[in-house]
Amino acid sequence: MSDPVPLTTDHPGQVASATPPAPGGSRRLSDRWLAVAFISPALLLLLAMSVFPLLWALYLSFTDYSATRGGAAHFVWFENYTAILTSAQVHLRALTTLIYVVGAVVLQTVLGFTIAYLISRRTHGRGLLTTLFLVPMMLSPVVVGLFWRFMLDAQFGVINSMLGSLGLEQVEWLTRQRTALFSLIVVDTWQWTPFIMLIALAGLTAVPKYLYEAASIDRASEWFRFRTITLPLVWPLLLIAVLFRAIEAFRLFDLVYILTSGGPGVSTETLSFHVYKVAFLGFNTGTASAYGILMVLIVIVLTQLYLRYLNKLKED
Amino acid sequence: MRYPKRIGRLSVPRRKVQLATAAMLLATTMAACGQDDGASAPKAPAAIPELTKDPLTLSFIWFEWPPAQALEAFANAEYKKERPNVTVKVKTVPNANWHDAMFTQFAAHKTDFDIAILDSQHIGEAVTNGNILDLTDFVKKNIDVKAYNPYLLAAYGQFPQAETGKRDENASLYGLPLLGDTWTMIYRKDLIGDKPPQTWDEMISAAEKCQSENPGVSGLAFHQANGSDAAAVTYNTVNGVYGGNLWDAKSRKIEGVLNDAAGQEAMDVLVNKMKPLTAKGSGNWFIDEVNAAVAQGKACIAFNWIAASGGLLDPKESTLGATREEILGKLGFATLPTQKTNLVPLGGMGMHVSAYSAEANQAEALNFMKWFEQADVQKKWAAAGGVPSRTDALQSPEFLNAGPFNKVYADSVPRMRDMWNVPEYARLVDIENTNVNAALNGAKKPKDALDDIAKEQQRVLDSSGGKGGGGL
Repeated sequence: MSDPVPLTTDHPGQVASATPPAPGGSRRLSDRWLAVAFISPALLLLLAMSVFPLLWALYLSFTDYSATRGGAAHFVWFENYTAILTSAQVHLRALTTLIYVVGAVVLQTVLGFTIAYLISRRTHGRGLLTTLFLVPMMLSPVVVGLFWRFMLDAQFGVINSMLGSLGLEQVEWLTRQRTALFSLIVVDTWQWTPFIMLIALAGLTAVPKYLYEAASIDRASEWFRFRTITLPLVWPLLLIAVLFRAIEAFRLFDLVYILTSGGPGVSTETLSFHVYKVAFLGFNTGTASAYGILMVLIVIVLTQLYLRYLNKLKED
Repeated sequence: MRYPKRIGRLSVPRRKVQLATAAMLLATTMAACGQDDGASAPKAPAAIPELTKDPLTLSFIWFEWPPAQALEAFANAEYKKERPNVTVKVKTVPNANWHDAMFTQFAAHKTDFDIAILDSQHIGEAVTNGNILDLTDFVKKNIDVKAYNPYLLAAYGQFPQAETGKRDENASLYGLPLLGDTWTMIYRKDLIGDKPPQTWDEMISAAEKCQSENPGVSGLAFHQANGSDAAAVTYNTVNGVYGGNLWDAKSRKIEGVLNDAAGQEAMDVLVNKMKPLTAKGSGNWFIDEVNAAVAQGKACIAFNWIAASGGLLDPKESTLGATREEILGKLGFATLPTQKTNLVPLGGMGMHVSAYSAEANQAEALNFMKWFEQADVQKKWAAAGGVPSRTDALQSPEFLNAGPFNKVYADSVPRMRDMWNVPEYARLVDIENTNVNAALNGAKKPKDALDDIAKEQQRVLDSSGGKGGGGL
């Protein structure tokens, strides 16, 4: 019969000590075992909730599996991927998503940075202003979508009512091809500009004061100070904010679902919304999995390129 | 500060950990993918099994609208008299999520509802996947089928789909009627007169005249949204009235059938004659928005589902009068005008027993359905605001006097036509919805939209059960 395994070590300092562990039974519960024991719950959770679904989706993406039709999944290899990459329907949604991402992120970056810059120049009430600006970000996108839907209603919405009082014509914000996508960009910008603002504000606050003092002594103009001190120092941080927002915007679903349902027609259907339809209207699980995997790959590749650019910027 | 060096071998060899992880993932994957459940609907017993005496909650799933609340209140008031230990709960989801909410649970083979209230067109998908019980034997033993209009019984239960207006007595039944429905024409008696327009052309002319004579009031209000089946039902209705067909069910042919001359004419009427008479920005209107336009006095003629029209007579929700009578002095309800045919859309839903519900709940569900389909219960359901399907209940004063639109329903029953009840329904209706919505909102030319619908729907039918890329 083997020696009983001690539950605890007799030497609490052993982990940090350079002394080798005592021979015999205590080696069985080494620091490595303890580490494994401590991280295994989190690891198992990660495996079950993230890694396994991802691997399963990867497996399903090579099959014709349908979650509702049941039956065995038959391998179709790359047919799902080929069909998605060559589908005119997908190309259309990709273009819509691209316009949306570029429009929303550019607008949010310009506005967010401008607001942050203005706030950073204030000495009084900066905290209160920042908090107020952050309110939209704290709301659920579904709630935001619902109240903007009412506000943008062509018949009784407050926006058209205001336009009417200015003598302007009513606009069909959500039911015309161009205005619907524009409305989505505006609503997303309303909600997420504070995020860019927050990050930009952190960057602006971190710019050393002595640089501005030195510039003042040299009688540098406001624009010169902004161009040569403020922007270069805040730029890397701003780019990270842009990265986060671009990834978020790329997978936009909730606002589209609430505000336009992808309409008129399919003109505001983003890639995520299309994946949802493929997955849940026809329950084509295999195709939807391949679609999802492709979207993840696109985000990973673009992020890598972006990060390389950021690193290069840092090195320079 | 220096950190101590790591001493000794790894207590848990990395290779072992990697192998164990891989094995676990593989085992989980195999387990998850191993459900080889060639689907076919399981049979419900002919006789109702013994019912439990323990407290039981019988759950339904439906979408959020007034009949859902009416059903829960009615069932808890009446069914409890027979089964005091049973509480009825009608779970509701937004209309746009209705299909997903039911079928994602079916996909998980575990439902938190016992009775699914399916649209007639969902039956094919549910039957093919084995999600609901086959009630054929149960119906034979417990239900007086002769008490029903055969087509209503078929529409809410039969699969494969019945021919319009008929029932195939040899076909299996998977559900029983819960709520009948169709479109009613709601018209402003004070603006266009007491007599409703009889033909579609007359209706358009009356709406045009009313709109020009009443600034701020639009001629028409109807469903145009691209969610649920909103815009699709609108087009299908006009298609039927103008003599078109949605498909040839026998040959499963859509292209060339839907977009034939009659279909094109219907699309032209809808987009070029009817749409200009609607309110600006109404391109995303569905049930609630149409009702709101009528209640606010902003529409001369509107079309809506009968089951959703009750609120129009509520003075608290209307600007048309301070009392129900005052509102009824201004609002009229009529069957749809005819043109080349007199077809009207079949609405409403049936009750279907979840194949994944517990045995005691399935037994209770069957007992509820047997109880619900009795003549006196159907009359009470009519009085409570429901739309029954039994002929005797439809012709009863309890039903005909319960609402001004109930006679419209009774008169419309022989004129009903349904959409496609096939497993691919969700995709077919989405294609039609998005394209009709695009045509109505100027994102596509009407002819292109109709041709695209026909082409895409045909592709879906032809590729059913095909290889990769399905669903795009």
